[in-house]
Amino acid sequence: MDFALDADQRRWLQEVRAFLREHVTPALVAELAEHDLEKRDGELAAFRRKIGEKGWFGLNWPTEYGGLGLGPIHQHLLVSEFERWGVPGPDLTVTSVAPMIMRHGTEQNKAEFLPPIARGEMVCAVGYSEPDAGTDLASLRTRAVLDGDEWVINGSKIWNSGAQRCTHEWLCVRTNPDVPKHKGISVIIVPIDAPGVSIRPLEAWSGYRTNETFFDDVRVPATNLIGEVDRGWRYITGALDLERGALTNAGDLRRAVDDLWALAREPRRDGAVPATDPGVRRRLAELDADVEVATLMGFEAASLLADGTIPSVEVSTEKVFTSELRQRIAETALDLLGPDGLLGHNTAAAPLHGAFERLYRAAPLLRFGAGTNEVLRDVIAQRGHRMPSYGR
Amino acid sequence: MKLVATEEERDLAAAMRDLFTTHCPTTLVRALREPGGERFPQKLWEALVRAEVLALPFAADVGGSDGTLDDLAVVYAEAGRALCPSVVLNTIHLGLAIDALAAPDRRAARLPSLIRGDLRGTVAVASPYDATDVRPRLRAERTADGLRVTGRLDYVGDADPADAVLTTAAVETYGEPDEVLALLVDPAAPGVQLTPLPTSADDRWYEIVLDGVLVADDAVLGAVGEEELRRVALTVRALQCVDMAAGAETVIARTVAHTCSREQFGRPIGSFQAAQHLVADMHIATQAARLAARSAVFWLGRGRPGVRETAIAVLKAATAYRRVTADAHQLHGGMGYVLETDLHLWSERARRLGVEGGGVDVAAGWLA
Repeated sequence: MDFALDADQRRWLQEVRAFLREHVTPALVAELAEHDLEKRDGELAAFRRKIGEKGWFGLNWPTEYGGLGLGPIHQHLLVSEFERWGVPGPDLTVTSVAPMIMRHGTEQNKAEFLPPIARGEMVCAVGYSEPDAGTDLASLRTRAVLDGDEWVINGSKIWNSGAQRCTHEWLCVRTNPDVPKHKGISVIIVPIDAPGVSIRPLEAWSGYRTNETFFDDVRVPATNLIGEVDRGWRYITGALDLERGALTNAGDLRRAVDDLWALAREPRRDGAVPATDPGVRRRLAELDADVEVATLMGFEAASLLADGTIPSVEVSTEKVFTSELRQRIAETALDLLGPDGLLGHNTAAAPLHGAFERLYRAAPLLRFGAGTNEVLRDVIAQRGHRMPSYGR
Repeated sequence: MKLVATEEERDLAAAMRDLFTTHCPTTLVRALREPGGERFPQKLWEALVRAEVLALPFAADVGGSDGTLDDLAVVYAEAGRALCPSVVLNTIHLGLAIDALAAPDRRAARLPSLIRGDLRGTVAVASPYDATDVRPRLRAERTADGLRVTGRLDYVGDADPADAVLTTAAVETYGEPDEVLALLVDPAAPGVQLTPLPTSADDRWYEIVLDGVLVADDAVLGAVGEEELRRVALTVRALQCVDMAAGAETVIARTVAHTCSREQFGRPIGSFQAAQHLVADMHIATQAARLAARSAVFWLGRGRPGVRETAIAVLKAATAYRRVTADAHQLHGGMGYVLETDLHLWSERARRLGVEGGGVDVAAGWLA
């Protein structure tokens, strides 16, 4: 095992940091704070163009698909740095949709979708969950029926985040209702502006915007089906594992603990300095240790990916660990800051513009999202230790 | 950066696992605890010497095989799984300490016989309560007949069969700062009094009281600084963390095997989600421990002071091993509570290694 970055990886990290130092401007930070990712044609759009110019949307793709051919460790390093800086980097389209197209798509799928994804022009929302199909995703009901050379799609998706600013849906549909449920599922690419698609916003407790998206007799070319019909469950589970690995990076957690230490060393409104309390220091030390562990887990998963496997057990372990760590960080911050920790970003006196107040509301999401931790514990026990499944 | 075992590491681990399975069964571990029984695992020792395990972390100039501390970590993982007796591991610690602290001629004089299996012993350079506290407990004075050492060492492991205890003493010279010397004490020498402080699990700890003990010149290894003493103590602690993480993995495997064969209500108890989730949490904690422990050994091997890395390893490994053994008792129920199942052997090792040299509270203090 080798815990040190080699010269090439160090050089890459320096390049990513230099990019962020140059392009994460106060204007970008202000726009993200005010509009999150919703503003069109502003600082974020310019920032994404710069990422595209570096070829970083295809950083982990084979060169024959227009990518830079860099491995999972390079991707992991880049995503971690972007998260530490609090800016969006290559998203799920790049990290989990495109690899599935490369792995399982037809030649037509690859020729049609990969180039615009690489340019940052095609951005996907992932359409998995439905009102009646969340953790039990295989029971999904959105239906696609072949009519001549078109698929006709009817149904709805929920938690369809980013639909309002994407160009396409990576849509999971039922193509065969007559076989066991996970054997009749396919994935179809649907342009978001196709007639019959409508989006209803949902606002989550964390201020996060997601959507319910409806499909009424939406027609797309038959060639928009990814890979083979009825084989979609494998593409979905593969994409979910990759998504989980990308989402459970510890970059933002390193930043959070560093920021919390810095806050703890400053006087509160009442003049007390939290870091002088040994109990506070003890909690911060434990968080510091756990962030190091989360970082190592991320590198382990990336190392296994580099060897060509999708390490479901390791990614599940990492995801459970980091999501629960995020909650512990938020709780420690609240206890340490006291009432100061309740001031939101609209209050001038809020420590760090309310970052930890917001983290407390954001933390619950990743414990149930991207694979609820209870199911992932099942995966660890059943796939990691061969304990018997019990019919879920 | 590649956090996957290399082929060489896998081969070494497999070879060591075979060796320990053959020569260190739980029957040996239990026999060594019997009053009046064997004190020293002679056959295991000979197998390790034959396999050149004692040569592994040392350079060729003293008869070593030029391996790394990372290689030793692979050995320690297998040793931890098999509950390798501390009397064996303490001699490896003696070797590491001589290698790091002794003047070149002393190192060349002692290490070859250790590597051959002819020099056995133990190390006492840090507080048993805090591995970063390396203040000497002994005082030495230069007299007409030589160096005389006085003081008390607590909780020295396996001092009774030791040929040598490596420890430190402060030498006062009028008008000069104290000098700290590393030296080898023969526990059988005149003026040395050993008082057993065995744990309830029969780990052989000793209080050693020295009263003007004469230490020969060739047993004085040289003057040493605080930083190098601390690195030796933390290297031992980090290797113990590797032992703890691997021990925890073995306990999980035994627990899964039990829950998959034990049936109640017409099905294996391992098919109940509550049981699976306990195992999943044991797994997560153990993986955290394993990564943190290997990271600490890696960076100590590359010359870092290692305080931060070892703190993280102790926080994760001590917690994981203790928690895993407790949850293992829960999942084994009565079957794992009786002595004949052996589960308590890992529980006791978890308890000891979790605090020897400083447990989670002490380690958290190293970080903050």
